[in-house]
Amino acid sequence: MQLHSQTVSLDPREWKTGATASATNEKLAALVFDRLLALDNYGRFQPRLATEWSHDAAFKKWQFILRTNVKFSDGTLLNAADVAGALQPLLLNGQQIRASANSVVIQSAVAMPDLLEELASGRLFVYRAQPDGTLMGTGPFFVVEIGTEGRRPSNPAAKDSDGASVARGATGTMHLRFRANEETWAGRPFLDEIDVTIGVPPLRQLFDLQLGKADLVELSPDLVRRAMQEKLRVWSSVPVTLYALRFDDAQPGVADAKLREALALSLDRHTMANVLLQKQAEPAAALLPQWLSGYAFLFTMEKDIERAKEIRAALPPSAAASKEPLRLRVEAGGDLPKLLGERVAVNVRQAAIPLQVVNRAALRGSSATTSSNDAAASVHLFAWHYSSLSSRIELESFVSTLNLGESTSSAVSPTDPEQLYAREKKLLEERRVLPLVVLPEYVGLGPNVRDWMPARWGEWHLADVWLTVPESGAEQRGNSNAASPGAKP
Amino acid sequence: MSFRTKLLLIVLLTIFASVTVVAYGVTHYTQAAFEEMDAERTEALVAQFKKEFVQRGEEIASQARNIAEANITETMAIDLSHPNADLSLYFRDANGAAQGHGLDFVEFVKYDGVMVSSAQFPARVGYKNDWVTSVKDWNDSQAFLRKEELPDGVLLSLTVVRANNTVENKSLYVIGGRRLDKKFLASLVLPTGMRALIYTNLDSSFASASLLAEKGEVDQAERFAPLVEQLKKQPQPIVRTIEWTRDPADAETFHAIPLTGRNNELLAIFFVGSSRKELVLLTNKIVKIAAAVGAGALFIGLLIAFWISARITKPVEELAAAAREVAGGRWDTRIDVRGRDEIGQLAAAFNEMTQTLAAQKESLVQTERVAAWRELARRLAHELRNPLFPMQITIENLQKARKLDAKQFLEVFHESTATLKAELANLNTIVSRFSDFSKMPAPQFARVNLNEAIRNAVRLFEPQFNEVGKPTITPELFLTDPLPEIDADPGLLHRAFQNLVLNALDAMPAGGTLTLKTFEHEGNVRIEVADTGKGLTPEECSRLFTPYYTTKLQGTGLGLAIVQSVVSDHHGSITVTSHEGRGTTFRIDLPQRQAGVTTTPREPAPDEPKSAPSTLAAASD
Repeated sequence: MQLHSQTVSLDPREWKTGATASATNEKLAALVFDRLLALDNYGRFQPRLATEWSHDAAFKKWQFILRTNVKFSDGTLLNAADVAGALQPLLLNGQQIRASANSVVIQSAVAMPDLLEELASGRLFVYRAQPDGTLMGTGPFFVVEIGTEGRRPSNPAAKDSDGASVARGATGTMHLRFRANEETWAGRPFLDEIDVTIGVPPLRQLFDLQLGKADLVELSPDLVRRAMQEKLRVWSSVPVTLYALRFDDAQPGVADAKLREALALSLDRHTMANVLLQKQAEPAAALLPQWLSGYAFLFTMEKDIERAKEIRAALPPSAAASKEPLRLRVEAGGDLPKLLGERVAVNVRQAAIPLQVVNRAALRGSSATTSSNDAAASVHLFAWHYSSLSSRIELESFVSTLNLGESTSSAVSPTDPEQLYAREKKLLEERRVLPLVVLPEYVGLGPNVRDWMPARWGEWHLADVWLTVPESGAEQRGNSNAASPGAKP
Repeated sequence: MSFRTKLLLIVLLTIFASVTVVAYGVTHYTQAAFEEMDAERTEALVAQFKKEFVQRGEEIASQARNIAEANITETMAIDLSHPNADLSLYFRDANGAAQGHGLDFVEFVKYDGVMVSSAQFPARVGYKNDWVTSVKDWNDSQAFLRKEELPDGVLLSLTVVRANNTVENKSLYVIGGRRLDKKFLASLVLPTGMRALIYTNLDSSFASASLLAEKGEVDQAERFAPLVEQLKKQPQPIVRTIEWTRDPADAETFHAIPLTGRNNELLAIFFVGSSRKELVLLTNKIVKIAAAVGAGALFIGLLIAFWISARITKPVEELAAAAREVAGGRWDTRIDVRGRDEIGQLAAAFNEMTQTLAAQKESLVQTERVAAWRELARRLAHELRNPLFPMQITIENLQKARKLDAKQFLEVFHESTATLKAELANLNTIVSRFSDFSKMPAPQFARVNLNEAIRNAVRLFEPQFNEVGKPTITPELFLTDPLPEIDADPGLLHRAFQNLVLNALDAMPAGGTLTLKTFEHEGNVRIEVADTGKGLTPEECSRLFTPYYTTKLQGTGLGLAIVQSVVSDHHGSITVTSHEGRGTTFRIDLPQRQAGVTTTPREPAPDEPKSAPSTLAAASD
């Protein structure tokens, strides 16, 4: 399995809300840890570590009955204190969890009608912190090895130490090897081991998939068309990553709402989605995707370059970008965000608003005048990964993480979509943040992968996957990624 | 400054001036020749740059044509000729074409000017490039400079446009280019000491980062700002020298060549720099060689000038030395006569002159000797006659007395013998005086205080100044104090001063004032003795120091002769001035030091009293 993420952390406490790296972290953490419950593709909550749950009438107190005889990878039993200790630092502010016999109770001063969605998604994994700082889980796999490419030192200490944080070195790639947990409560997974390589460049992933060196790779959107032309199996999720612009006050000009309006009107999202991203993305008019909020279609994309020029021309000379160009910093890694940033610059310049893209490497051997990377930027192109299955929680996380205004969990009634829509609409009208495009997640699958049934929002279920043994060349592929199908108890 | 020194300096200056002129000429013409060679080198490099420019353009044109004629491009042209063609299908094609054909920039532009794909700026896809469609036929066009817009800024590129005309009236344009940067500069073969720079004029104001060299950035790039500004105003080639440091060897001469785009807009400036180090070093070397040659020439010239001047000035110096000897009294001095030139004629004339002078001097001496003997005979006759006459009378009386009685005879006899004895004593005295003058002793030098010597001499005559029954004589002394001590014989000086004072007393029988002065005069010490007597005639003054000459009834005429003798023995001089009726003044100049004489500490004068209370009315200035 190959991922193009630069870093991986299996400790949920370290994850940053909305970061694209969280998607990879969640996928790998799901191999090692369990949640209390899960959501299936039909919108039904399925028991995992919790077998039953109930709540009071005000949705302020929830009780979860825990599954019995659940063992960690070292064979010790899971108890309610482990669950409470693991979840307490991961829950939202104001939510308290306590162990009670074979159950845990989560309480809050405000109603928590979407607590099940919260617990079924994101980083709310159950783990046990080891004295050495590593985490141990009850999931279908555990980490047995961490190393760099070409040098795979065994890591015996990692056998019972899941949740390791690893980062790719300055050169080369990093490997994590997961081994099947024989003691897992859900039954032994089909695969004996999973070898994960992180930091592989997108084109290399595609080649490795074509050559059979990998069974599962993350596909960059610009390579999807090529993978399809090569007749490779490609799976895509619902849009799970938003690319958007955010404004701050690093440069005084962007405080002018008219300038932000002119900038928003100049953006050509369709070209971004259909040409630059080769129809593998969707233009975004809303902060939350349609599949998550249900009302995203109500927002319309505004593009009117002539109007943008008029607004810009009407701005006073002292307004933004009259003395120095606006600076746009591309905060997301990879070539696609850079491309989007450059397109934004082209669009905005068309409206006579000078904008420079900063914080990117100068062209190879270029003698062009490059912008100073140290200059303060007032426009930021960032990526946001939707990690919660609750639209309210996702929006609140979005607002609080990006400092878009006053935000409390009680600001919006979780039961009233209209309030949620109004809040998002207000955010969009302020134009402190401008959505550009939303991208699904693309996965390239080898021909031997069977029972690939992930959740449509991008949650992989690798415990259910198994591999067929090719008629020839099985020996050549090695043992690490050629696990034979196992018997599911 | 001597004549020889002057002659030496003139010859040396002439040689120095000649060497300087020659060195300057050699340096100047060598420098001019080197600069001409440097200019030729620069022109060659500029020509090479232009040739490289054309070649590079042809290469780009070839690659752009290959892209335009490729099958995939034809397919693209056909597809894009349809309405609502999907641009996303070709979004990455320019990048592949650029990599495949070794170009930095490749763009595909549709027949309507819409950008289909851009290797260097993919985000510009969909935008129109009307300048491309404004030209009907690009396929015969040359490469041109273009301001290439990139995500990070702008670059200068050498651009070629070619068209795929597979679909009639719906051409697909291929824009190919390569950046004009330090790689391009690196491709130029530069001679040692030269470098090429390129300034991309893509900003409104001068930007140091826009000035590129083969090896990265240019130090002190801001020094080019004035050239760039001048070329922006008037895009004509110019030449300018930049002095990087105070050392002239670090200076560099730059030929700036403006590079314009399709619309003659100034897009870049090509600088060809030529280090002046070699020129300066060569010039310094030539200057050093010239200095060494000059120094050698001066040294040789010095020797030659010394020899020449010595040869020219030696007869003159001999003449001058002979003249000094004549002035010193050697009237018979002669010099060798060499040659018949002006100097030889002068030497012959000199010898003739000294011969004449010696003959005249001998004649004068003979005359004076005769005159002196006559005067001496006259004085001797006069002096001797005076006692002889009484002696004759006495002897005649004694002869007459033989007739007298014995008593009377005895009385006469005693008187006569007494008279004879007295007159014989007078004769003896006269003879002694002459004997003393002939026996003047050689001076014994010692440090002498002249003022004291004068006071002592005057003091001897105090009784005579106020002698009863005679007119009063008033002595007045104006003695400069302090007065330098001189080397002198105190006894002789005392005798001389005594004679002068006595001479003054004799000159004032009716009384008067005796004035004595001492003071420094022209390095000597001067003594003036003046009386207020009746004075002397000029003839008397001229003969005053002649021995045995006197104007007095009683006198030997030796007093002032002795004074002159003493003064002469002290290497001094004595003069007399007199005006009839107003008195006579003697002036004596004595040198302070006697050559070759070791003096002894000052000794008191012979008549110097232990204490010298003066009763004279003395005055000093």
